Amino acid sequence: MNFFDKVFEQRSRQLAQRSSRRGLLKGLGALLVGGASIPLLPVARAAGNESPGRPLEEGDPSSCDYWRYCAIDGFLCDCCGGSANTCPPGTEMSPVTWIGTCHNPADGRNYVISYNDCCGKSSCGACLCMRDEGDRPVYRPDKTNDINWCLGTSSASYHCSTAIVVGVAFDD
Amino acid sequence: MARLILLPVFFWSALVLGAVDDSGRVVFDYQMNCQGCHTPDGAGAGSVPTMKGHVGVFLQSQEGREYLVRVPGSATSALSDERLAAVLNWIMYEFAGDSLQLPFAPYTAAEVAPLREKPLNEVDAYRERLLRAIAGADARE
Repeated sequence: MNFFDKVFEQRSRQLAQRSSRRGLLKGLGALLVGGASIPLLPVARAAGNESPGRPLEEGDPSSCDYWRYCAIDGFLCDCCGGSANTCPPGTEMSPVTWIGTCHNPADGRNYVISYNDCCGKSSCGACLCMRDEGDRPVYRPDKTNDINWCLGTSSASYHCSTAIVVGVAFDD
Repeated sequence: MARLILLPVFFWSALVLGAVDDSGRVVFDYQMNCQGCHTPDGAGAGSVPTMKGHVGVFLQSQEGREYLVRVPGSATSALSDERLAAVLNWIMYEFAGDSLQLPFAPYTAAEVAPLREKPLNEVDAYRERLLRAIAGADARE
């Protein structure tokens, strides 16, 4: 028997004497279950939501009281098959929008909100909200929500309104 | 999302070109006073002209440089002279792209103040004539 065979035999016997098959299963099981549970541990994940442009959220997006709707004048897309961020199927989001700021009670900050209208279908008719905070007369056309903002779309017929967070308001 | 895309470009611009308001206020001022029509990336939509990759062309003539201040969206905005100048400079750094010829002399509050007292009443024909004159000057060079 050559030198290598002796060494391997010796090491194998030592290993067999010191360890057990169940011990191996135990270690492997602990590694698998333990590794899988690390992402579930309660680390301070809420802190991640405080980054700019990603506000803490609370409230019901299908209710006029929802914080992003502070200046809304129209039907909530959330009640019309879309969401506060997206248009219902079959409508087109207007790239030209009414922009204002709303105060988020969940984190106490003000955010820039873009009220992109969804266009191309007749009025949705559900969840009519008129909060109009910061609305200005039509001689300030960029700050009035009384005009039809279905501009730059193939159809000018208004269906519903979204309220998209586009940034954090700068406080003087 | 647009903001996330804009920020690296913005900081790059600030480093390369300097003299730009990096406090975040200028982005907010653009969003609140311009973005509704000019869209987040300056591309515009429908009858709103495209600034993206184009707006720097106006700086090729003095009249064009003044036009960007006298156009009603600038001149009659609720911004102070200083903040209007900052937004105009930011628009150049952010949207002009290759249309901006360097070196670029940034707008200042002192330059903007007297110009915005003479807002344009009629924009479309004025703008067309201006761009034709600039294109003509380019062709002669």
